[in-house]
Amino acid sequence: MDRRKFVQITAATGATATLASCGNPENELIRFLPDEYLVPGISVWKPSICPLCSAGCGLTVRVIEGDVEVVRNDQAGVVTKGLVKKLEGNPEHPVSQGKLCVRGQAAIQVTYHPDRITGPLKRSGERGSGQFAPITWEEAQAELVSQLDGLAAAGNQNALAFLTRPLSGQRGRLVDRFLDRFGAPPPIAFEVFGEDVLRRANLASYGFSQLPTPDLARSNYVIGFGADFLGTWNSPVSQNVAYGEMRKGRPGVRAKFVQVEPRMSQTGANADEWVPARLGSEGVLALGLAHVIMDTGLASAEDAGRAGLLIEGWSDGLPAYTPEEVERLTGVDARKVRRLGREFAENGPAIALIGGPPLAQTNGLFHALAVNALNALGGSFGTPGGIFFTPRPEGSDNGSRRSLREIASDIRDGTGSPIEILLLNDTNPVFGAPPAWGVMEALSSIPYIASFGQFIDETSNLADLILPDHSFLESWVDSEPESGTALAVRSVAPPAMRPLHDTRGMPDVLLEAGRSLATPLDPALPWQTYREALQSAFEALPATDESTDNWTLAQAQGGIWSEASAQPSDDQTSDRGAAAFEEAQFDGDTGEYPFHFLPFISQSFLDGSLAHLPWLQELPDVLSSAMWGSWVEINPKTAGGFGIVQGDLIEVTSAHGAVRAPAFVSPAIAPDVIAMPVGQGHENFTRYASGRGANPITILAPVVEPETGALAWAATRVRVEKIDGEGGLILYGGALREHPEHSR
Amino acid sequence: MQEEQVREEADPSYRWGMTVDLDRCTGCEACVTACHAENNIPTVGPDEAARGRAMHWMRIERYFEGEFPDVQVKFRPVFCQQCDNAPCEPVCPTYASHHTEEGLNAQVYNRCIGTRYCANACSYNTRLFNFFNPEWEKPLNLQLNPDVSVREVGVMEKCTFCIQRINETKIEAKASGETVQDGAIKTACVQACTSNALVFGNLNDRESEVSRLSRSHRGSKLLDDLGTKPSVTYLQRETWHESGNR
Repeated sequence: MDRRKFVQITAATGATATLASCGNPENELIRFLPDEYLVPGISVWKPSICPLCSAGCGLTVRVIEGDVEVVRNDQAGVVTKGLVKKLEGNPEHPVSQGKLCVRGQAAIQVTYHPDRITGPLKRSGERGSGQFAPITWEEAQAELVSQLDGLAAAGNQNALAFLTRPLSGQRGRLVDRFLDRFGAPPPIAFEVFGEDVLRRANLASYGFSQLPTPDLARSNYVIGFGADFLGTWNSPVSQNVAYGEMRKGRPGVRAKFVQVEPRMSQTGANADEWVPARLGSEGVLALGLAHVIMDTGLASAEDAGRAGLLIEGWSDGLPAYTPEEVERLTGVDARKVRRLGREFAENGPAIALIGGPPLAQTNGLFHALAVNALNALGGSFGTPGGIFFTPRPEGSDNGSRRSLREIASDIRDGTGSPIEILLLNDTNPVFGAPPAWGVMEALSSIPYIASFGQFIDETSNLADLILPDHSFLESWVDSEPESGTALAVRSVAPPAMRPLHDTRGMPDVLLEAGRSLATPLDPALPWQTYREALQSAFEALPATDESTDNWTLAQAQGGIWSEASAQPSDDQTSDRGAAAFEEAQFDGDTGEYPFHFLPFISQSFLDGSLAHLPWLQELPDVLSSAMWGSWVEINPKTAGGFGIVQGDLIEVTSAHGAVRAPAFVSPAIAPDVIAMPVGQGHENFTRYASGRGANPITILAPVVEPETGALAWAATRVRVEKIDGEGGLILYGGALREHPEHSR
Repeated sequence: MQEEQVREEADPSYRWGMTVDLDRCTGCEACVTACHAENNIPTVGPDEAARGRAMHWMRIERYFEGEFPDVQVKFRPVFCQQCDNAPCEPVCPTYASHHTEEGLNAQVYNRCIGTRYCANACSYNTRLFNFFNPEWEKPLNLQLNPDVSVREVGVMEKCTFCIQRINETKIEAKASGETVQDGAIKTACVQACTSNALVFGNLNDRESEVSRLSRSHRGSKLLDDLGTKPSVTYLQRETWHESGNR
């Protein structure tokens, strides 16, 4: 292309800054040319993968040309680029099946967020002051390498830690391998609402350390114990698709759905019957149903196989769980227990699911084992209309990750090996861990922190160096779903658009650092880029299609998927003792703190990691219709006792702190439970989330489920109090209110 | 331009309609955000939202029934019902709000002078007024759909049944000399609906899925007795009957 042609093109696309860079190398000019595949006004759909939760939904994204304002060489200008305009579910993808949840639809705002970090930064003020100065990638990369070299020279490779949200697929393996070859321990995985308890139980009951895939579409009876499977739990998109089929996909057959939970979730709102059993007693109800089923001869103890043997008294028909005893422990009428048990057994195939609050108890593992046993008794494991497990590639299990809680405690006590360098990837434990864990103090004492974050949040604010990652639409992405399909799925997708900012992919930064070390990790990390790592992984797989190779196929359709049978783990802890019900332990004296506190995962923000997206801030919560803030759900009787009406500011106090938020008076919550959505209350997380609402995690007691060490986030007791002041409850539902000043 | 497009391409053999299966709808709200993304709907921020000015062309209404512990909830997605006998149309002094031959209540933004009579007249509270110019803090403006005009201050807006998607499919069909196949047009909400509760299509085609569903014994129109003749049919939620106890 000659200069004349070039000027014509840039003039046509409105590029104004191009001429200023004439005389510079061609690579400066090449940025101003639109991508080859783009025809003005014609959109192209490309595959991608939603990164917002671990479900791993396959996307198809609409790309069309658009003008982007840029600054190059200190000159403002406009360039024409392929821009992603809309995310939809990939119809070919086995998990998303052409659909996408409310959060996935908003994920596009991650890429175009006005507060994204636009290039590498180095701390320029006190740690935590939020003062950073821009540096070049060469400087940033050199600084990372010199820090790592410093550790290696001192023979202290063990003092490198990688703190991340759980990673799957090749991205996770690349991080593992980098750490392993460097000589550092495996990554520390942190997520607020982890699923360790359920994985542990599923390993014991079924031999699979993973989340289940319920075959709702072919089921006739579903009983959920706290599992918000239509909202936020597990693989919500695939579960919603299947739910539609369960209700109306089969002529003449409409399944019954019962939900057991003391605070109605979005999922519970769809139930034919909502059963508010006492918090911390859910497994007892499951065993009550099992007792009725065995007692009436609808099934026998042996039908449950090994899942049953994990429950004390199972072979004797669970004499300790008579309907009357169950009523005493759960608050559910004995007649209802009998009826539900009979319905479950007589209307198969039936599924029992557990998730959420019952697992976040000191006796959470018992509840999970109990529900698994009920499920197995109904014969619903591995049969149509029952529970399945997604076949997973080798090395994709979620085991052997270090726990942040233990590490923080080690750091504070000065025990264990100290961490000298922390690499931080896509997780925000300062916001998401209870203050009693002391994560803030522990991280502050680490000499050097480098973050790959795309945004400044409460945790990355502590970083000394920020190496901003691409957004998922700008980078290679891959994922190996843990659940949501009966096929073996490896998703992968190339970048859907060029980066908007001066960012680099985290895996590429690691590979580059590995090459540049004084003792390079080259032979062990043979790939130049993450793309190469992906390609070699896909090429190493057995071919799935005769006409083309795996790598070409995977890029075209967003991954490869094939029939496979899920193999149970050899590492089965079948020799565990039989579990019996023990009362859940709650933190806080019942006299001083009369209510259970139930923080729940927000439909909009999950654990708070999505609070920065304006569409989700303005999304009315489907049950309360609240927007742009927090609220406290309280039963009308309880509220009446305190003189609390809708919108009043109330203070919720535990033994570990207090939060304030307006009251939402709801009939769908037990009188002894106070609930609050997680996600708001960020101190420092973009213009849309900072200083908005309150974070219920800050008042949680550091209680854990003892076997897994998982946070028992529903095991704190609280008291409530009406406070003078403006509640600030913003509801979408209700009367028209042009003048809220007068009507409040 | 939008109005011209509508008139030019209007084909009376089409009458667009939708069905909402309340037995499938789970209240997941994917439709709400999908609609925002497709139709360049701005956020207004907390202060304006507190004044009831949040812009949602699609909303999920929630109804509590009963008292603790016997509580039931019903969800109902509500959006412009594209009435055949629409109260919003005759009140518009500028014909910004008018009826198309394909049964849509179209809104010509360039004609709208913001009297808000139509919003007063609407029985379903689905018309939304731009009290301010929408703000897209850069680079959020890059997400804007080039097929949909961004509305300015003083203009009324509402659900269009994704007219841009209807037109695109019609043009494609015309170019290949065919009529629009049933299911070929998916509005953003229908495309997103995770449980397939929403179905869109041509009510004039008796074989179309939407047509078949809208004749279901479960079907009803919202506020039917007002005589607005909505193009949207709600299929009522069912209750479970144990086969043995029926």
